[in-house]
Amino acid sequence: MWFYLARRLLLAVAIVMLAVTLLFVMIHAVPGDPAAVILGPRATPEQIAQIHEKMGLDDPLPLQIVNFFVDVTRGDMGTDVFTQRPVSQIVLGQMPYTITLILSAITWATLVGIPLGCYSAIRRNSLIDKFVGVISVSAIAIPSFVMAIYALLIFAVWLGWLPAIGAGGDGFWDTLSHLILPAFAVGVGWVGYIARIVRASMLEVLGETHIRMARAFGLPERRIVFRYALTLAILPTVTVLGVGMAHLLSAAVFAEVVFARPGLGALIVHAVDTRNYPIVMGTVLVTTALFVISTTVADLINAALDPRVREGL
Amino acid sequence: MKDMKSTTGLSLDRRQFLKAGAASAAGVMAYGLPLSQAIWAAQGKVLRARSYADINKLDPGFYQNAYNVDVMNCIYSKLLHYQPGTQWGTELQAAESVEQVDPTHIRFRLKKGIMFTDGYGEMTAEDAKFSFERIIEHNSPIAGDWGPLDHVEVEDDYTGVIVLKSPFVPLWNITLPYGAGHIVSKKAVLEVTENGGDFGMKPPCFSGPYVLSDWRPNQVVILTRNPEWNGPKPGFDEIHILPIGDPKTAETAYRAGDIDFTHVSLSSLEQIKAEPLPDTALEERPSLYYVYVGMNTDHPKLKDINVRRAVQWAINVPQLLEVGYFGQADVATGMIAPGLVGHRDQALVPPEGDLEKARQYLAEAGAEGLTLHIDVLNESKFTTMAEMLQAQLGQVGITLEIDVQDPGSFWTIGMESEGQRWKDMQLIIQRFSMVPDPYYATTFFTCDQVGEWNWERFCSKRFDKLNAEAVAITDESKRAKMYHEMQDIMENSGAYRFLTHEGAPYIYRESIMTPATRPDGRPLYRFYDVTSA
Repeated sequence: MWFYLARRLLLAVAIVMLAVTLLFVMIHAVPGDPAAVILGPRATPEQIAQIHEKMGLDDPLPLQIVNFFVDVTRGDMGTDVFTQRPVSQIVLGQMPYTITLILSAITWATLVGIPLGCYSAIRRNSLIDKFVGVISVSAIAIPSFVMAIYALLIFAVWLGWLPAIGAGGDGFWDTLSHLILPAFAVGVGWVGYIARIVRASMLEVLGETHIRMARAFGLPERRIVFRYALTLAILPTVTVLGVGMAHLLSAAVFAEVVFARPGLGALIVHAVDTRNYPIVMGTVLVTTALFVISTTVADLINAALDPRVREGL
Repeated sequence: MKDMKSTTGLSLDRRQFLKAGAASAAGVMAYGLPLSQAIWAAQGKVLRARSYADINKLDPGFYQNAYNVDVMNCIYSKLLHYQPGTQWGTELQAAESVEQVDPTHIRFRLKKGIMFTDGYGEMTAEDAKFSFERIIEHNSPIAGDWGPLDHVEVEDDYTGVIVLKSPFVPLWNITLPYGAGHIVSKKAVLEVTENGGDFGMKPPCFSGPYVLSDWRPNQVVILTRNPEWNGPKPGFDEIHILPIGDPKTAETAYRAGDIDFTHVSLSSLEQIKAEPLPDTALEERPSLYYVYVGMNTDHPKLKDINVRRAVQWAINVPQLLEVGYFGQADVATGMIAPGLVGHRDQALVPPEGDLEKARQYLAEAGAEGLTLHIDVLNESKFTTMAEMLQAQLGQVGITLEIDVQDPGSFWTIGMESEGQRWKDMQLIIQRFSMVPDPYYATTFFTCDQVGEWNWERFCSKRFDKLNAEAVAITDESKRAKMYHEMQDIMENSGAYRFLTHEGAPYIYRESIMTPATRPDGRPLYRFYDVTSA
C-alpha cells in the first residue's frame, strides 16, 4: 500500500508538471500581453517594458517555466500583477468556493443517483425503471447551463425562494442558500449518469454466482442488495466520480459565471482573458492537483471496497 | 423594506422559504434567530449595486478602470467632483476654493477639518502636493492625466498652487474631479510603501464618507460609514458593490432582489420598457464610449484612400446598430459624445452611406472583387455587427472575412511591440472608453501613437498640431471648433467610420434609493440617497 501511494505521488507530481508545462506553452503561443492590459492605453513602451521585466517575460520560455517550478517548491506561486497580491493567496482564497460547489453537487447527485440506480435494477423493466431511465437520460442530455438558467429564473426570480447570485458568507444558512441553485445545476446531469451506471453495474452483479448463492441461503433481499451487490456495483461509479472531477471543474466555470459566484472557474476565465499568466499558472497547478488527488482517492476507495483491487496494489 | 410578495405575486417569499427549510433541516428554527439578520443584510440602509468587474487597484495615483474609481470616490476626497445629474460640471469637494490664477497656475484652498482615518490627521496642502507629484515622480501609467504638471507649491497648511509647465485645460475635466485628483495622506503612504509609490490594494487610510470595511474578492466590496467623516452625511449606512461580469446575470440578480441598482444591456432595454419591472425606475443616459470601424492605412489593400472611402460609404450605420444594439443605440457623429466640448452635429459621411458612391470609389481604385478581413472582439454585439458588415460590403463586391478574438489577443493586434500582427490588420471594430474631455480621445490618434494605440496608423501633422494646441484653449467654442476639425481630418482620411457611443441605461428600486450619477450614468455612490418613506 505504501509503495502504491509513493508511486501515485510521483505520478501525480509528473502529471501536474506536464499539465502546467503544456498550458504554459499554450498560453504563450497565442497572442496577448498582460502588460498592455495591466497598464491600459496610456502606458508608455518603457512602462510596458518594466512590467515585462518584473514578470520575467523577457526570459526564454524554458527558463520561465523552470523558474516557476522552482518558486512553487518554495511555496511561491508568484504575484498577481494587477493587485500585487500573492497568487497563492488569491487561488487558495477562491478554491474553497469551487470545492464546496463541486462536493455539494456530487454529494446530492450521488445521494439521489445511487438509490435510483439500485431501485431501477431491482425493479428491472418495471414502469418505474422505465420512468427513471427517461428522467436519467433527460438529465444527462440537458446542458447544465440551460438547467442553471431555468433554475435561476424559477427559484430566484419567479418564486423568489433563493438568492440568484453570489456565495453568501454571512453564516451557514446564508452560504447554503447561495449554494443550492449552483449545486443543483452542476449536479443534475450527474444524477442521471450515476443512476445509469449503478443500474448497469447492479444488473451485472445481481446475476453473479455469489448473489444467487446468498439468495439460496435465504438471506434477506435488503442485505443482499446493499451488503453484497451494491458494494461491488458501486466500484465503477467511484472510479467515474474520481475522473469526473475534471468535468465538474469545467461545469463549475459556467456555474460561477451564471451565478456570479467566486471560485477558480471564474478566476481562470478572467485571467486567461487578461493574459494574467501568474494567476493562470497558479490556478491550473491547483486544479490539476485537485484532479490527481480525486482520482487517487477514488482508487483508494475502490481498494477499500474490493479485496481484489487491494491485492493488486 | 422590500415586500417580496409584491414582486413575485406568490405567498411564500424567499425569507419564509429559507426559514422553513432551515427549520425542517435543523428542527430548531424559531422566529427571531440571527438567521434572518445574517441572510438579509438589506434590511438596513444598505445600497446593493452591481459593478461589471471586481476592484483591483485602490491607489488613485496608479488607478486603472472606472470601477476602481467608483470605489475611490467613496473612500477618498479630492478638490473637485463631478456634479451628479445630466449636465457635465464640477463642484467643490475637499476644496473651499479652486481658481485659475493664470494659464499655468491654479490655486486651491482646502476645507479645514477633513480628517484621514487611523490617526493620520487632517488633510493638508502638503498631502495634496504629495498626491499629485507622486504620479509624475513614479512615472505612473496615468501620468498623462496630469499633463504638464511641474510641481505644487504649498503656501500654508491649507493652500497650495498647482504649477503647470504649459496650460492644460483637461485638468479641470478629467484630472481634478476624477481618479488622479484624489488626495492621500503623505505620512500614511510613506509608511506603507518604500518611497511613496503604488500601494495597490492596501489603502493605509481613508478620507471620504465611507471606508473599505471588507473586500471578498470576486464577491463583494463593502463600504461602511467613516466614523471620522464630518462632511455631508451620505444616505446609506453601507454600500455593497457586487462584481457581476455578465450583464444578463446582473439583470437576473436585480429581478431576484439581490441587487437594487444595475446598468442593463441595450439588448434588454426594449423588453424592460415594454414590461416595466415593479418598483423600478429606468434611466437612459448617453455613454461616452466610442465605437468605430477602423482601417489600417498602411496595409497594401487599404493604402489607396479610395478603397477606404468605398468601405466608409458602403457601411450603413443604423443597420449595424439595429443588429448589434437592437436599435437602442444612437448613431455617433465622431469620437466625442454629445454633451462634451467638440461633439460634432453630424459626420461627413451620412449614417446610411451610399452604395453607388462606394462602388464608384472602388472602381476608381480598381479594386473590384476585393477580399478583406475584419478583427472583432468575441462579444455578440461585435460579431453580429461584423456579420452585417459582411453583407453590406458584399453589396459593393467586397468579400469580408471575420476573425473573432478573445480580449487578450484582440487588445494587442495593432501594437508593434507585440510582433508583426499589426501588418496583417485590415479592418477592425474598435471600442474605446472615454472620460469627459475630448483630449482623452484624440490623443490616441496622433502620429506618435502609431503602432501603440493608433492601430489605423493614421497620421496627420495638422491633427497633431491641433491636438497639442487644443489642450491650452480655455475658450470653449474655439476649442470645440478645433476638435470638430480633428474629427473631420480623421474621417477624411478614410480610416474611420464612426458608429455609436452606445448607451448607459440603468435601473434601480425607487422605494429604496434616489441614485446620483454622472451624465454618462457612472454611479457616484457617495451621493446616493435613501428614498424617504
